[in-house]
Amino acid sequence: MMNRTHVHCTVNGDEVDLLASDDTSLLDALRDELGLSSVKEGCGTGDCGACSITVDGALNCSCLMFAPEAEGRSIGTVEGIAQGDHLHPLQETFLEGAALQCGICTPGFLVAAKVLLDENPSPTETEIRYALAGNLCRCTGYDKIIHAVQEAAVQLSTSNGASK
Amino acid sequence: MTATEKPSAKYKYIGTRPVRHDGLDKVIGKARFAADLDLTGQLRGVMVRSPHAHAKILSIDTSTAEAMPGVKAVVTGADFPVIDPTDSTHDEAINNIARDEVLYNGHTVAAVAATTIAEARAAAAAVKVEYEVLPAVLSIDESLADGAPIANSTNRTLFTRDTEPSNIASVGPFQRGDVEAGFAAADVVVERTFTTKAVHQGYIEPHACVADVGQDGKATIWASSQGHFAVRSKTAAILGWGTDKIKVTPAEIGGGFGGKTTIYLEPIAVLLSQKAARPVKIVMTREEVLRATGPAPASKIHIKMGATNEGELTTIQGTLHYSNGSAKGYAALTGAMSIASYRFPNLDLMAIGTVDNTPKSAAYRAPSAPQAAFAIETLIDEIANELDMDPIDLRLKNAVVEGDPTAMGAPHPKIGFVETLQAIKDSEHYNSPVPDGVGRGFGTGFWFNIGEQSSATVNLNEDGTATVITGSPDIGGSRASMALMAAEELGLDVHSITPIVADTESVGFTDITEGSRATFATGMAVVNACRELIEQMTQRAAVMRGVDVDQVAWIDGAAIIEGPPSEGAEPLTIKEITGAAKMTGGPLTATASLNAAGAGPSFAAHLADVKVDEETGEVTILRYTAAQDAGTAIHPSYVEGQMQGGSAQGIGWALNEEYIYSGDGVMQNAGFLDYRMPVASDLPMIETIIVEVPNPSHPYGVRGVGETGIVPPIGTLANAIAAATGVRMSELPMSPPNVLKALNEK
Amino acid sequence: MATVHLQANHAAYTDGARKLEVHGATVGAVVDELAARFAGLGPLLREGSSVAIDGELQPKGTIYAAVAPDAEIHFLAPISGG
Repeated sequence: MMNRTHVHCTVNGDEVDLLASDDTSLLDALRDELGLSSVKEGCGTGDCGACSITVDGALNCSCLMFAPEAEGRSIGTVEGIAQGDHLHPLQETFLEGAALQCGICTPGFLVAAKVLLDENPSPTETEIRYALAGNLCRCTGYDKIIHAVQEAAVQLSTSNGASK
Repeated sequence: MTATEKPSAKYKYIGTRPVRHDGLDKVIGKARFAADLDLTGQLRGVMVRSPHAHAKILSIDTSTAEAMPGVKAVVTGADFPVIDPTDSTHDEAINNIARDEVLYNGHTVAAVAATTIAEARAAAAAVKVEYEVLPAVLSIDESLADGAPIANSTNRTLFTRDTEPSNIASVGPFQRGDVEAGFAAADVVVERTFTTKAVHQGYIEPHACVADVGQDGKATIWASSQGHFAVRSKTAAILGWGTDKIKVTPAEIGGGFGGKTTIYLEPIAVLLSQKAARPVKIVMTREEVLRATGPAPASKIHIKMGATNEGELTTIQGTLHYSNGSAKGYAALTGAMSIASYRFPNLDLMAIGTVDNTPKSAAYRAPSAPQAAFAIETLIDEIANELDMDPIDLRLKNAVVEGDPTAMGAPHPKIGFVETLQAIKDSEHYNSPVPDGVGRGFGTGFWFNIGEQSSATVNLNEDGTATVITGSPDIGGSRASMALMAAEELGLDVHSITPIVADTESVGFTDITEGSRATFATGMAVVNACRELIEQMTQRAAVMRGVDVDQVAWIDGAAIIEGPPSEGAEPLTIKEITGAAKMTGGPLTATASLNAAGAGPSFAAHLADVKVDEETGEVTILRYTAAQDAGTAIHPSYVEGQMQGGSAQGIGWALNEEYIYSGDGVMQNAGFLDYRMPVASDLPMIETIIVEVPNPSHPYGVRGVGETGIVPPIGTLANAIAAATGVRMSELPMSPPNVLKALNEK
Repeated sequence: MATVHLQANHAAYTDGARKLEVHGATVGAVVDELAARFAGLGPLLREGSSVAIDGELQPKGTIYAAVAPDAEIHFLAPISGG
């Protein structure tokens, strides 16, 4: 049995400690050690994006990282996107716009879309499609997802404008 | 389209777009899919799979594996009851775990349960299987070749009296009229052979289950499935257990599209759990999903079609070959029967299903129809071009209406094909000019839709809210539609209604969510249960007001009293009646169940604008419009979602997806990198037009919509590519290398 | 006598006959008579077919539906879906 390494990192703003074998993926560690089941294994090879997380703000596939690589890093999952019981506009527009059916890909899409809007508050449709090209959805054909991201961008820019 | 759109004048709640009840959990990451469930003390199960496409199992030595650290149970095929090959359970049982013969690369031969996944995988690798490799048959042509090896020694041809082993799974001739005379009288005749490859349903969630067998011998299973009652009955049949000894709870399901109407894990998980006396969780990897679960059949379809100069499609003749993979099925018959959209007075189709050493094929959204539609819609387009006729007008001239025969001879019920064709003809897309260098293509599709058995219980809670309990796993938003139909029936705000999908012990038997049946058949059960509740509430209102029950009318969600002594009294609301239920007779609850007849077919028509890069063969879709007859759209967002999702799957099937096999039958692209499904940057917005020709057999006119959307895209895109390049594609996928090849051969 | 229309795949058991006159007050009785006349046809009709009576598709598996003396019965191949 492989040695288990002690990993100390921040997840969704909280400091955590966990034990993981050197060959355990960060995906499995987040799910099995921390109970964050929103990160899903759709493929295990970084091709579907269902395991999308942020690592120090950058979009990553957690299935392609070993758990010890999270040492000292700040990890973000969909569980950290809402502010308490206040949903992020993306979460609201996904719900209102029926941008999910089975919902298995939804956490990954929300993480990826938030990274996009944080970096590019007014993306074009093409920019949205390419930013989300690393997330597979088999249910929706992406149409309502793109609309939801567009709508969230509008809401975010409106609220940002109002607070100026 | 937003959630605030006004409903139609006809209904108060039906046609609105409330946020789905399970939606919040899905956007905050709380929704529990089968792989998210963990039971105390659970073991992880791993399958041992055959590396060979076809082999005899000479021996299996599990002794090393059993002695390895953490291993608590090992099973092989010998641990399962023997099932006779003529029994309808046989093929599915063998597909779960082989006995003497492995039939495809990836076929399960044994399984191990251990305390960690790493230990289970190590032990699985230590199971020693001795094989005698047999010659494998890997395609339709190979299955049919003279002297071909027999792919599955237990296969006998269905629908014949043949008793010899055969690579023919089933045969089905369909005939009407006189094709000889029809072709002789035809002014235009076109003919072509079309080939398609196996494609996977591509659900993002791999199969997963957790099984827990108690000391009392009862199994509790959480499963990712389109039908948990079917999980129960199939598991019971394979293990030889009573269905009362198995309880199945449906987890949220991460996509199925037909691929999760069958089972691959549960019988093994149950047996491992029983042996180990601990829960066992089994989750497939993506590679296992692609290598070893059932894809949609590969096909080889030859069609000859004849028409008059006036555009009447008079004659169709052909042979449809579909591969069922490693075991028998009737995919080819279904494909032939799906040719149901045009009158064709003279018809002669032979459907032939083959067996080979690739995974046992499974259903995929309108099973077998997309392959046939590729052929039919291409040939009709060729005829339209030859006759210089508008492709929609040609179809309007031949479109089936109520009373016209289906391939099976029985007449079509009330249908909306003409209306759906007209919807595209009237659309902004169709009436916009075709840009330079762009090809525009049109195609149509049909699916029968089914009814079958459903049960529903509706409970009125003490405070006037309601719970709607059904047994149809929600794969597309059907829970929301159940709440909408209940709201409409009861006159209760849809936000006061909570719909749930209950386990096999908490709701009556309900057939699989497939065949586009949930909103139709389970919806009917919900409506019937609500109507019974209205009867009950009417009686309670009579008691509360001291009148005869004949004096009570139920109007707009309240009990109105007519006649003395309470005439003019305020209507009694649901809240008042439920609040007094204890005093008027007890809890208000109703259950309804049915075997639904009258499922209405759904027709679709699609239009696509494409650009073809003649240097690379890449096809880019610039604009896509899908029209489909929903009967009545209970929740329009979810109807649109089905249309868009089906379109995207059909587009992937058309342009890029395929199973690639090595010469020895090993799938080469068993991962999402090389099994290339459409991503967001591959597609444009998918415009939707919902047509509503209500189905007279459903209280709200519902037609199932889940499946038809996948049928038109292949023909639509093939026709668009032909318009753009002059080249008729007859081989799928229409991927860049294949398009380039066809362009070069022009 | 009801008129029964069989699919071509049923015809393998009836020496090619696709249209038959059959007695029976219910679908079940019609199936029983066909099963008695043609060896091997029974299981296929009972398990493998849907039924339409005078053009109206019946719930799958039903055998008790009434059959009028001059009814047209179609036995249809099974369709499920995905």
